[in-house]
Amino acid sequence: MTNAPSKPISSAPGGQPAGGRLFASDIDWWTVGIYALMVFFGWLNIYAAVYNEEQAGIFDLTQRYGMQMLWVGISFFIAISILLIDGKYWHMFAYPFYFAMLGVMLFVLLFGQEVNGAKAWLVFGPVKIQPAEFMKFVTALALARYMSAYNFNLKSGKALYYIGLIIGAPVLLILAQNDTGSAMVFAAFFLMLYREGFGSALYVVALMLIFLFIISFLLEPLPILFMVLFLCLVAQGLANRNWRDTGRYLALVLLLGIGVFTLLPLFGAGISLYHSMLAGVALSVPWLVRYAVRRHLPNLWQYAVLFAGAVLFTGVVDYAFNNVLQLHQQKRILDLLGIENDPHGWSYNVIQSKIAIGSGGFFGKGFLGGTQTRFSFVPEQSTDFIFCTVGEEWGFVGSLGVVVLFFFLILRLMRMGERQKEPFGRIYCYSVAAIFFMHFAINIGMTIGLFPVVGIPLPFFSYGGSSLMAFTILLFVAIRLDASQYDESARKLL
Amino acid sequence: MNTGYNREKILHLSLLLVVVAIIGRLFWLQVIDSDYKDSARNNAMRYMVQYPPRGEVYDRHGEFLVQSTESYDLMVIPRDVEAFDTTYLANTLGVSIEDVRKALSKAKAYSKRRPSMIFKQLPKEVKLKLDERHLVGFYTQYRTSRTYPRKIAGNLLGYINEVDEPTIKSDPYYRMGDYIGKSGIEKSYEEYLRGTKGVKVELVDVHGMPQGSYADGRYDTLPIPGQAITCTIDAGLQQLAEELMVGKVGSVVAIEPQTGEILVMASSPSYDPDKLVGRDLGNNYMELLRNPRHPLFNRAVMSRYPPGSTFKVVNGLIGLQEGVSRASDLHPCYGGYTIGRGVKCHSHFSPLNLVQATANSCNAYFCYVLRDILDNRAYGGITKGGFDKWHEYVQSFGFGRKLDSDFWDELSGYVPTSEYYDRKYRGSWNSLTVISLAIGQGELGVTPLQVANLGATIANRGYYYIPHVVKKIAGRDSIDARFYRKQYTKVDPKHFDPIVEGMYEAVNVAGTATRFAVPGLDICGKTGTAQNPNGADHSTFLCFAPRNNPKIVVSVYVEHGRWGATAAAPIASLLVEQYLTDTIRRTDMLQQMKEMTIAYPMYDKRAK
Repeated sequence: MTNAPSKPISSAPGGQPAGGRLFASDIDWWTVGIYALMVFFGWLNIYAAVYNEEQAGIFDLTQRYGMQMLWVGISFFIAISILLIDGKYWHMFAYPFYFAMLGVMLFVLLFGQEVNGAKAWLVFGPVKIQPAEFMKFVTALALARYMSAYNFNLKSGKALYYIGLIIGAPVLLILAQNDTGSAMVFAAFFLMLYREGFGSALYVVALMLIFLFIISFLLEPLPILFMVLFLCLVAQGLANRNWRDTGRYLALVLLLGIGVFTLLPLFGAGISLYHSMLAGVALSVPWLVRYAVRRHLPNLWQYAVLFAGAVLFTGVVDYAFNNVLQLHQQKRILDLLGIENDPHGWSYNVIQSKIAIGSGGFFGKGFLGGTQTRFSFVPEQSTDFIFCTVGEEWGFVGSLGVVVLFFFLILRLMRMGERQKEPFGRIYCYSVAAIFFMHFAINIGMTIGLFPVVGIPLPFFSYGGSSLMAFTILLFVAIRLDASQYDESARKLL
Repeated sequence: MNTGYNREKILHLSLLLVVVAIIGRLFWLQVIDSDYKDSARNNAMRYMVQYPPRGEVYDRHGEFLVQSTESYDLMVIPRDVEAFDTTYLANTLGVSIEDVRKALSKAKAYSKRRPSMIFKQLPKEVKLKLDERHLVGFYTQYRTSRTYPRKIAGNLLGYINEVDEPTIKSDPYYRMGDYIGKSGIEKSYEEYLRGTKGVKVELVDVHGMPQGSYADGRYDTLPIPGQAITCTIDAGLQQLAEELMVGKVGSVVAIEPQTGEILVMASSPSYDPDKLVGRDLGNNYMELLRNPRHPLFNRAVMSRYPPGSTFKVVNGLIGLQEGVSRASDLHPCYGGYTIGRGVKCHSHFSPLNLVQATANSCNAYFCYVLRDILDNRAYGGITKGGFDKWHEYVQSFGFGRKLDSDFWDELSGYVPTSEYYDRKYRGSWNSLTVISLAIGQGELGVTPLQVANLGATIANRGYYYIPHVVKKIAGRDSIDARFYRKQYTKVDPKHFDPIVEGMYEAVNVAGTATRFAVPGLDICGKTGTAQNPNGADHSTFLCFAPRNNPKIVVSVYVEHGRWGATAAAPIASLLVEQYLTDTIRRTDMLQQMKEMTIAYPMYDKRAK
C-alpha cells in the first residue's frame, strides 16, 4: 500500500453489522492520483481542442469543455459514491446489471439514435448516452461473478460455453449497432482469460493468424507459400531432430513442383509457379505418410495440418477481407500497411493526426499553441483523436507522460488483481486492466499510424460523458474491491 | 497459482512491448522525422506576399517616364471555389468562357489548396466589379503595372515580366509570379526599383479560412516601396530624336559633357513601351522579336558600326601626343593617299594642316598621321609595339571596351589588336596593311554611345565622365562614385584645341557640314560616312555645342544614310538647336527630316 493518510475519511452508511467500513489507508491512492491527473489533463486538452478566442468561459455549457467539466463533476460524484458503497454489492448485482444492460442495448438497437453510422445512442433531451460503454463494465462484472463460482472449472466445456455466451451476446448486439470499435474492445477479456489459465495454444494461433494476415497483404502468394513451408519444416525439424530427412523432403517438394511446372505445359495446360508448388506439396503426401508411419512420428500430422491451415487461411483471407469487412475498414487496413493511400480521402484522418503529433516536436507548441489543433485539421479531435492535441501542444514530453501514466495505471490494476484474495476481484481487476489496455493501445496506436483507425475513445481524455463515466465506474469499482479485502466483512469471510 | 504468476510476467512483458513500441513511434514522429513539422506549417500558415509598388522613373526635369499604376492579379484557390457565374467572370475580365475554364483547370492541376494566379494585371475597375460579386475562392492581389505617359525610350527604359525559372533558382528573393526588370533601366536598377516584398503570415483553418495573423504579426513585414529613379534623359529631346529617326534605322545619343549624363538615347525603330505590359506582353514581344528591323535591339549601345571619319580626330590627337606630328604639319592630298593600295579622298584644297584636314575630313592627311604613329621607331616599329601603343590610346578614349556605364546591355565594340593582325596576316603585315584604320574603317567597330563619349571628351578637352542614364535614386545622396570621376585619355588636354577648331570650321567656316550651322550656337561637328558591306554608307555625325563651355554632345548614326551631311548632320543639328534654344527655327528642315525615309532592302528582304 501507499503512505496515504491512515485516518478513515468516512464510514459506509447504513447497517454496520454487515461491515463495509472503508478506511482511507485501504484505498490505492496511487491509482486515484493517476486517475485525477488524467482527468485534469484530459480536460485541458479538450479545452485546447475546441478552444476559440470568442468563447473563453470554461463553464460554458454550449462548449464541449464546459460539458466535459459537468461530466467530470458527475464522475467525481460517482467515484466517491462507489468508494462509499460496500464492494460486495457488485458481486451480488453482477447478473442483474448485466441482463439489464443487455436489455438496454437491445432497446438502443431498436429505438436508438444513429451517430456517425453507429446506431448506439440513447437520447435524453440534450444528453446522449452510449450504453455500449457501460456494457464493458457489466460484462466484466458478470464474467467475474461466473468465473469466481466455487465449482467453476475453466477447462470444462460448459465453462467455455458460458464465457462465450457472456462475451458474445453484447458483442453481437454492438456489432448489430455497427460499432465495430466498441466490439473489438471485448477482445480484452481474452487477456484476462489468459491470466486465468486459458490454453496458450489459442493465443499462439491467434498471433500466427495476425502475422499471416499482414504478410498476405504485403507479399505475393508464392513467397508466402515458401515461407509457411519453410517455417513448418523448421518447427518439425526442431521437434524431431531429423534435419537430413527434412532437407531431403524439401528437395523432393521442389523437384515435384518444378516438374509439374515444366511438364504440364507440354500437355497444353499452363500453370503458375504457385500452383505447381502447391501440386508439388500435394504429390509429396504419399512419401510423407510413409515416412511418418515408418519412423513413428505422429506429430508430423500436426505440422501437416498447421501447414494446410496456414495455406488455406492465406487463400481465404482475401475473400474474407473483401466480403466481411466494410469498405472503410478495408481502406484503413490497406492504409496502415502502406499499400494504398489517399491523402484527401480515407487517409486524411491519419495523415493529419500524424502531422499534428509530429509537429509537436520534443517540447510541444505549448498550451493552446497548436495550429493543427486550433484550426481543426484533425477530424474528431476532441473525441477519438484527442491524443493529437497532447502530441502537438505538449510534444514528446507530454505524449510520453500520457503513455507512462497509462502504463502505470494498467500495471497498478494488474497488481491489484494479483493481490486480491478472491477470484472475483482478481478477474474483475484484470478485466479492467485489459479494457484500459485495449483502449490505450488501439486509440494511441491509430493516431500515430500503428493501428488501423477504429473509433474508440482514449479513457479519461476523449470528450464524452458516457465514456468518462463508464471508465470512472470501471476503475473505482476495482479500487473499491481492492480496498474491500481489508474491511471487516472481507476479513470475516476469510 | 503457479501458472498465474508466469502468465502475469508474460502479460507484463506484452504490455511493456506495446508501450515501448508506442514510445518509439512517438519519438520517431515527434523528435526525429521533421517532415511533419513542415506539413503542419503548410497546413496552417499561409504566407501572403505583400507586393510593394515598383519605383517610378522620372526624366531629368521630373516628368514621368514610367508610372506605376495599381493593378490586380486574380488569384484562385481551387479547393475553395463554390459554384459561380462563369459568364459573368469572363465578361468582367473581357475573356472567353473557355479561357476562364482553361485557367481554372490549370490552377487545379497545380494545386487545389494553394493559390494560383489565373489572370494578371487587371485594372482597378475590374477589381472593384469582382469585389462586388464576392466570388468565393477567388481574391485579387495588389500589384503594380507600368504605364508610359510619353511612350518613348522603350529600349532605354526596358520592360518587366515574370521571373523565369533560372532566376528563381539562383536568387532567393524571387518567387514564382514576381516581376523583374528584363531590360534597360528596369533591369540595371532592378534592385532599387523593385522595393522589398513584405509578407503576412496568416493562420488558416482546415477550410482555408483566415484565422488571424500568426503570432500577432510578429513575423509579418511591411512591403517597402521601390525607390523612384530620376533619369538623365530629357523627355522632350528624346521624343524629338525618336520622331526625327522615324523611317530610318539607327540611333541617337546625346550627352551632357560636363557630367556624362545621357540626355537622349534613341534607337530606331523604336516601339511603344506600353505594348510590353499586361496580358498581351507575350504576343507583342514575339511580334517585336520577329520584326525584321529588330526594334528590340538597342542600337545605341549594342551595335558595332564602323566609326568612319569621326574617328580621324582620334588619330590626329594620338599623333600630337606621340610627337610624330604637329598641328601645323602640312600633308598633300591629290584625290587620296597614294601609297600601297591607296585611300581615295574627295576633292578639296591641298596641302592642309590638322585643323583644315579635320574640317574637310581629308582621308590622306590622317593616313600620313597613322603611319607615323604606327611606324614610330621609338617603339621599334609597328609589330614591335607601335600598334600596341596606338591600341592603348584608342582604348583610353573608350573604344574597344565597355564604358562601364549603368546600362546593362552595353557592348564593347571592337578595336583590333596586333595579335588579331598577326593571326590574320600570319605575321606579315605593316602600317599600309591597316591603313583603313586611319579613317575609321577596317576592323573597327564602335557603338554610337562610344562615339558620343568621344564627342564629350573633345568638348571637355581631354576627359570624359562615364556616360550614365540615372541622375538620382530616391533616398540616396548620390549615384555610384565612378560617375563623378573625370576619366582622362592618354592624350594631354593641351592637344585638343586644333581638333575643336577643325570641328568648328567644319560646321561654321568651310567644311563638310556648313549647311547645319546655327548662328550663335557655335556647333562643332564632324561628319562621317562609314562604308559597310551591307549596302549604302552609314551616315554619321558627331557634334557638340557651344564651342566654349559645351552643353551637349550629339552622336547620330543613320544606317545606310549615305553621307554624314545627308541624314545624320541635320538630325544632330536640330537636336542641338532644340536643346540650347528650346525652339526650332528651321521648321522646313525639321519637317523634311521627320519625313525622310530610307529604304532598307537588307532588313526587309530577309523578312520574306
